[in-house]
Parts: sequence; structure tokens; C-alpha cells
Amino acid sequence: MSDRFENDLRDHLHREAEETRELPRRLRGRIREGIMPRHRTALVPQLALAGALVVVAVAVVVFRSPQLVINDVRTTITKVFTSPTPAPTPQPFICQDVAGGSTGITTQLTAVRVASHESEGYDRIVFDFSGGIPSYDLTRQPSATFIRDPSGQQIQLDGSDGIKLVLRDTDAAAGIPGGSKPALPAVREVAQVGNFERVVTYGIGLSSSQCLRVSSLASPSRLVVDVATVPSTSTTAAPTPLPTVPEATALPGFACQDQAGGSNSGGPMQLTFIRIAHQAAGYDRIVFEFAAPAGTTPHLSAYTVSRQASAHFVRDPSGQAVTMRGSDGLRIVFHGASATGSYGGNADLTPGLPVVQEVGQLGDFEAVLSWGAGLSRASCIRTVELTGPTRLVIDIQTP
Amino acid sequence: MGMLMDPALGRVIERCRDGDRDAFEEVVDRYGLQLLRTARLILRDEALAEDAIQETFLKAWQRIRSLRDEDPGPWLTRIAMNESISSYRRRHRFQALTERFGRLSTAKVQSSSEARLDLAQALDQLTVEQRAAVALHYYRDLSVEDAASALRIPVDTLKSRLKTALRRLRDLTGSEDTTA
Repeated sequence: MSDRFENDLRDHLHREAEETRELPRRLRGRIREGIMPRHRTALVPQLALAGALVVVAVAVVVFRSPQLVINDVRTTITKVFTSPTPAPTPQPFICQDVAGGSTGITTQLTAVRVASHESEGYDRIVFDFSGGIPSYDLTRQPSATFIRDPSGQQIQLDGSDGIKLVLRDTDAAAGIPGGSKPALPAVREVAQVGNFERVVTYGIGLSSSQCLRVSSLASPSRLVVDVATVPSTSTTAAPTPLPTVPEATALPGFACQDQAGGSNSGGPMQLTFIRIAHQAAGYDRIVFEFAAPAGTTPHLSAYTVSRQASAHFVRDPSGQAVTMRGSDGLRIVFHGASATGSYGGNADLTPGLPVVQEVGQLGDFEAVLSWGAGLSRASCIRTVELTGPTRLVIDIQTP
Repeated sequence: MGMLMDPALGRVIERCRDGDRDAFEEVVDRYGLQLLRTARLILRDEALAEDAIQETFLKAWQRIRSLRDEDPGPWLTRIAMNESISSYRRRHRFQALTERFGRLSTAKVQSSSEARLDLAQALDQLTVEQRAAVALHYYRDLSVEDAASALRIPVDTLKSRLKTALRRLRDLTGSEDTTA
């Protein structure tokens, strides 16, 4: 059994640990350098020696016949600047879903371009970002029907198959067109089907089931999706079946009472992301995003969102008292969920929004996941349950 | 038995196994901060903790193919604990030599409040092995079994270290045992 001293120790360790607010960039850089191929650094002395020998050789030739060298240099420079930049070695197309990008970054989608490379056997879609490339999922599906996020309404794009692209922690810059119908051999239509609480979703309508090739480019950051124009004959992975289409829903009104929902229909879900932001429409928003462990069905775990007239909480299971910023609070409890090993973010967030002052984890024990939110005032709330990915959205009304 | 990975994380690890460095940076983003915080609690030195976590991820990259369908979190924690304790011992040997010649003094962790200073100083007085046990059990909330596994020691040894560490912390801070 924990006594007061152990609780104090636990509290002290958490406070001391949270003085390190983020992974330092210098450490990321050192790790990145460390995993680069070693032979590059090993070659440096040899390259320096070779370079020196070339310089000496050129100096000798210039001294003996300067005009010949000038002509050669001129020709070489002309060739370099008129030749196209060699393309990187193409990767093979794969007939399965793809995921990638980086978590924990904030970025903005600034442009979407579509073009045909028919002679090379693919259509290309390029997504430009002002920051890095965010965490993304590309999911193949045997239909060009998509579901708008968050309304749940169906949208039918041109084509018979599709790809869904989900970009997390991303804003879409103003002026990005909602879609286009390039009518290329493979890519028939590209449409933004969601832009909600920093999750931007695109639907891509295809003429038939196609394989993909995904690559990343820098300066600016670009996610390049190549879609093969030759229909897929691979049997390596069947396209992901379409999710169940929910009925179209509008956002519910705010209510000054506790909320509950979700279900206990499957195995424990794993918390992957938390996002907190103020929305100009007059509310602060907290989003809990979950993933289903392998072999289980994605669902939103049974949850309760309880309002309280203080920012004092109790940790589960230690019973330790925690005081968050603010005068009021929300206690959010998921039954059948955990953050262990799946959530890499901060367990104590202080966004300093108009109402949401602090959001912190209170417990993760026996598949009961608890979080608290410290609020600057008593506020009415609403909850929205979303799929693809599974999310619970909690909106807190602001003055 | 290790915890199974969620599908998205499984795909990231699969890409790491194929040599995808961008995917590995995603692993660093996901686990780096928590590992660094744990290492700082154990080592009481920011630079040393960063070195240990750098080595942790470099070794993880080299050994990523040995990771099967289990959550990488406990696996990374095991590597980080080994690196942290090893780097502390190396530093300690060096400090013992240099202090003999009066060149270095032990740096203390700065604290922001007087109440914390006592406990922070008391933690400084523990052995690195005791601090590792305390950090895993009381900060990371690992069970004694999981903490013992992370440190590759028997459960009884872990319990003994925790007991000794708590008794010493209580002595150093003048706290009384209030357990029944």
C-alpha cells in the first residue's frame, strides 16, 4: 500500500521529469547522424586526398594548355545546367496500405498537385507542406465512395476504386482547392473529404485497383504518391474493406451536464494522440485518438465525461491528489483503453486556452484510462464520436 | 510475453527493419521524451542522460531486426536502463579520478522549490541502481515484475532495492513511515 511519502515521491519525480519538456533538437540530430551509413564518414579522408590529387593534376594541365581546359570547362558547365536533374532510383510499387511521416510536428498543407507520367507508367499526386511531413495513412479501398469527416456524409468520387489519405496534426492552408477531376489514366478525382480538428483527409478516386509508391522529398517537404496506371494483379494484400457508413450527423448542441458513450464491444483500445486547440466558433476542443491492437475491431471505448466544480483530481490507482490549473474541471474516463506503449506525447499539457488550462493523465490501470482537464470556468460541453481514425472529440464552450 | 503492437506502429517497425530511417525517427519521436526523462531522473545530469539516450537509439537501430511483434516500449526501456547505468558507472570512475586531483566537483540538480530540494538532494544520495528502481516503479508506474525485467534483475532484488531506497530517502528527508 502506498503511504504519503511514496505519493510525495511519485509526485516529485513527475514534477522533476516534466522539467524536460521536449526531446532536444540537438539530441534528435545526433541520433539522425548516428544512424546514417558509416561509410560516408570513413570515406572523408580518402575523398580529401583524391580531391587534392585532382586539383594538382588540373593545375598541371592548365599550366601546359590553358585554352583547352577553358573550352572543356565551358562545355561541362553547359551540360550540367541544361541536363535534367537525375531522378532518384525508383522504388517498386506495392499493393498494400502505407503509413509514415513524423508524429509530434505541426505542419500545414500548402498545395496539392496531380499530373500524369503515363510514359513511365504512373500518375503522381504531390502534397506540399510548410513544415515537415506529418504522420499519415494511405489506405486502399475497393470503391470510390468516401465518408466526409466529421459529418459522416457519403461522397462518391469518379472511379471504381479509391485511396484514402489521412494527415494528422495538419492544417490545410487557405486557398487549397477542395478537389479536382484530372481524369488521368489512374487518378480520376482527388477531393478533400475532411478538415477537422487538425486531421486533413483526402479521397482519391481511381479507375481501377492500383498499386502505390510513396516517397518523401525535402525543401519544401513533399509527400509524393505515385499510382501505377497498370491495373493491379497482385494478390499480396487485398484492399481494406470500406468502413461501415454512419448516418450523416450534425454537431450536437452544448449541454451543461455529464456525457457518456462509446461501447465495450471489443478489446482494449490504445490511445495514440491527444490534440487540444481553440476553435474560433466559440469553444476549446480536446481530441483523444485511439488505435485498435492487431486483430481487434476499432471502436470507441465506453467513456464518461464528468464535470466538476474544482480542478482537484485524484490519481488512479495511487489515490494521490492532483491540482490542475483553473477553477473547474472535467474528468474523462475510458473503460477498456490504455496509453501504455502507444501514447508518446506529454502526460501533462498546459495549452492555456480560453477555458482549457491544463490536461493531464490521471491513471492508466487495468484497462481504465483516466484524464483530467483543468478549466478556467464552469462550461457546457458536447462530445462527438468519430471513426477512421477512432476519436472522441470534447468541445468546451468558451465565453 | 511482450505487449502486441497496434497496426500503425507495427508498420512503422516493419519499415525500420527495411532500413527506413524516417520511420526510425518516428520511433524516436514516440519514445524519446519518456526515455530521456527517465534517464535524467536516474543520472541526475542532463548531458549524461542525452548521451545515454543517444546510445540507446543507436543500439536500437542496429538491433531493430531482433524486435518481433511486441511493443517496442519495454524493449527500448531495457536498452536505456543498461546504457544509463553503464554510462553512470563510466562517469563515476572518471569523476573519482579527477576529484582526487581536485579538478571536478559533483554537479547538483537544480530545483525550483525548497520543498523539492530536500527530496532532490536525497535522491542524489541513492546509488544509481536504486534510483533506476525508484524511477521505473514510481515515475514510470511499472510493476515490480516489469521494472525487474527492464533492469534484468530478479524481482526479489528489485524489491530489495526499492525497500532500501525508500528507507534511505525517508532517513535523509526526516520522513516517517506511515504505512500500516
